[in-house]
Amino acid sequence: MNVKKLFSHNETYLALVLIVFSLAITAVNPVFLTLDNFADLAKNSAGTAILAIGVFIVLLSGGTDVSCTAVAICAEYIAARFLIASGVNNIFAAFAIAVAVGISLGAVNAVFVSVFKIPVLIATLGTATLFHGALLEFVGTKSLNVGDLPQCFKDFGNLNVISWTLPNGTPYGLSVFFFILLGLLILTWYILKFTMIGRGIYALGGNPEAAKRTGFNLHKIQFFIYCYAGFLAGIMGIIHISLINYGNPMYLVGTELTVIAAVVLGGTRITGGTGTLTGTMLGVAMIMILQKNLVLIGLSSYWQDFFVGLIIVIGVTITNVQNKVAAWKKAG
Amino acid sequence: MAELFLEAKNITKTFEGVKALDKVDMAIGRGEIHCLVGENGSGKSTLIKIIGGVYRPDSGTIAINGAEIKNINTIESIRQGVQIIYQDLSLFPNMTVAENIAMNQMLESNSRVINWKEVRREAKKALEEIGETIDLNERVENLSIARKQIVAISRALTQNAKLIIMDEATSAITRDEVEHLFEVIAKLQKKGIAVLFVSHKLNEVFEIAQRVTIIKDGKKIGVYPASELSNDKMVFLMTGQNFRAEPYRFEGGEPVLSVRGLAKAGQFSDISFDLRRGEILGVTGLIGSGRTEAALSLFGLNRPDAGEIRINGKPVTIRFPRDAIAAGIAYLPEDRLTQGLFAEQSIGNNIVITVLDRLLNRLKVLARGKLEGEKNAWVNKLAIKTPTHRSPASSLSGGNQQRVVIAKWLATNPAVFILDGPTIGIDIGSKHNIHEIIRGLARDGMSIIMISDEIPEILDNCNRVLVMAGGRIVKEIPDASVSEAEVFDLIGRKNSTAGAAV
Repeated sequence: MNVKKLFSHNETYLALVLIVFSLAITAVNPVFLTLDNFADLAKNSAGTAILAIGVFIVLLSGGTDVSCTAVAICAEYIAARFLIASGVNNIFAAFAIAVAVGISLGAVNAVFVSVFKIPVLIATLGTATLFHGALLEFVGTKSLNVGDLPQCFKDFGNLNVISWTLPNGTPYGLSVFFFILLGLLILTWYILKFTMIGRGIYALGGNPEAAKRTGFNLHKIQFFIYCYAGFLAGIMGIIHISLINYGNPMYLVGTELTVIAAVVLGGTRITGGTGTLTGTMLGVAMIMILQKNLVLIGLSSYWQDFFVGLIIVIGVTITNVQNKVAAWKKAG
Repeated sequence: MAELFLEAKNITKTFEGVKALDKVDMAIGRGEIHCLVGENGSGKSTLIKIIGGVYRPDSGTIAINGAEIKNINTIESIRQGVQIIYQDLSLFPNMTVAENIAMNQMLESNSRVINWKEVRREAKKALEEIGETIDLNERVENLSIARKQIVAISRALTQNAKLIIMDEATSAITRDEVEHLFEVIAKLQKKGIAVLFVSHKLNEVFEIAQRVTIIKDGKKIGVYPASELSNDKMVFLMTGQNFRAEPYRFEGGEPVLSVRGLAKAGQFSDISFDLRRGEILGVTGLIGSGRTEAALSLFGLNRPDAGEIRINGKPVTIRFPRDAIAAGIAYLPEDRLTQGLFAEQSIGNNIVITVLDRLLNRLKVLARGKLEGEKNAWVNKLAIKTPTHRSPASSLSGGNQQRVVIAKWLATNPAVFILDGPTIGIDIGSKHNIHEIIRGLARDGMSIIMISDEIPEILDNCNRVLVMAGGRIVKEIPDASVSEAEVFDLIGRKNSTAGAAV
């Protein structure tokens, strides 16, 4: 690929910004640029990154999904409560339950979007509150302390695929979370690039009317999109509870804007049809590094909200301006 | 004529009791270039959709290659080789040329996974068939409309098209691009592929068409060799009336609006002209020639970079529409539905919206009596066909809606009235009436700028014409002494210097 082409990609700029930003942090805090820190970052970011994949796919099809965190917390909390109540101590059972919950709730979203043709943002605003309310009312509000949780969550959270020991004797490693993320990325990439349903998602986001005329089954595509996003949210839920070893049904909800900001920052157009997984992951990395390091460079954690908001506003503005410029060029 | 490819016989279709088509016949030979013309609402889109299998006819038969196709549906129609290219082209702007071309075939093959080599090979093959080269990796959104058309035609070829139906194919492309399209069509014809152009006006496609089918009010008027049709004859057949208008006579008057050196980077440059009292000045050019952009600048909706505007000799600054209205300029927008009307509001409310500040009582509250008077006055003055001004604007026909927009601006009592596409999407009959209204206004001393890409409309109604291309005025025609073809040529000529500025 030649240089000119490289610089026509959003991702290149984002990667450059990320590098400059990392160097700046390293200047303040040399610990940042170490293997262990990156292993930590990967572990801590995997959950958000998996949610971001779901948000990315929905955005690609032309909608904004704000229910992803509600779905994730429902899946997480229901799975944990079920394991505790039944005495089963098996992480695969936890995943199975969480994924089932995620897909079911995703299907509910799909019904509103696909059958009743409700704008995605409105539909998911409604279902997010609905799901979360139902969780608190019917499943409970009790927080699950580390002592309450089955051992399998703790083991899973500590599971490293690659391990090494620091000079001072501390064991370190690359968490299984990272490899789950990697697997899901490859799966999603394959679906988007090489399957008819994946191309259908791009087609739907690019020109829904033409997609219909061409003969795509839009209902099928939309059910796939929302169920897949639900599936990802389910996996994220288990990773989340295993990471913090604490279950609280009030968690996650409220952070969906951060995830959306990461995806938008990654260059996915908010109007649908355009975006890449690479960009999405760079966007997540950017936001996560920002979140973890603002305090290090002497800013209060309130700046987080400020920056997330700023990113959404700037990201959307850039997309809008780009569209206008393109329209002018066309008119000329 | 060659062997028949498609024969539609006695097609009747009723929508909610209204006959959209009444025993219409149409026959298209193999490799024939055929035109289907009729006014808006004449039933031509219904007919195409029946051929394409989108609608099912109430009665009548469709035969392809001599065999009757019963219960035609979209899939069967495509299988028989019928491809419809709608005016919007139905492309995916966010995807590459290769994928757009091969997409339908991929879908049809029913495979779940995509073979990208196959996609590229198919796309390349289809483009080669008509001797075109377009970068397969380019995104379709970055192509010109003419190139997009080529992509859509190539896509049709991957589906083994035997008949390609093109809806308003030449309305958005330059003369050069039309020539190029004709070359492509000629190649299709050599391969035995028939092309059906669908249009509501006489235009360039008649140059290469062999036969023309004319329909009116859902009935077939007849089928004629294209060479035997003139504009007048066709208009007469389409409408059943003759509308040969006397050219507008302009007696001369003092300049009302003077524009000097109006420019905006990337849109238009060096726009200078005078508009005199009682004059109807025509402005024509393609979409993107700068005609609409410049007009918007005169109305405060598109701030220019440079230039001077004078009204009655006095310089005015127009930064917002309210400045323009205060200076006595009114603007009838190109798209009446989204820019000119509040479709769900009443006709009366639409009319008085521009002059509400004049209809207040002493307490600065809207005065009922004054409102009623104003609304009724305009409905009567412009003979808007409605039982009451309380009906929503959306209940009116296109021609009457346009009268509402005209009334709304006339209420501001303008000295200069800019009409952008005053008769777009309006039937020929009502079109003629709107032209009469415009001429009447000019005769009473109003100065009119009429922007249109329908050249006959411009030549018939204007006493002077400016032709725009590439953001500049390329020609001023002092009277209606030129032929349509000459104007077409001027429009298509891309101005190289302006092109570089874009």
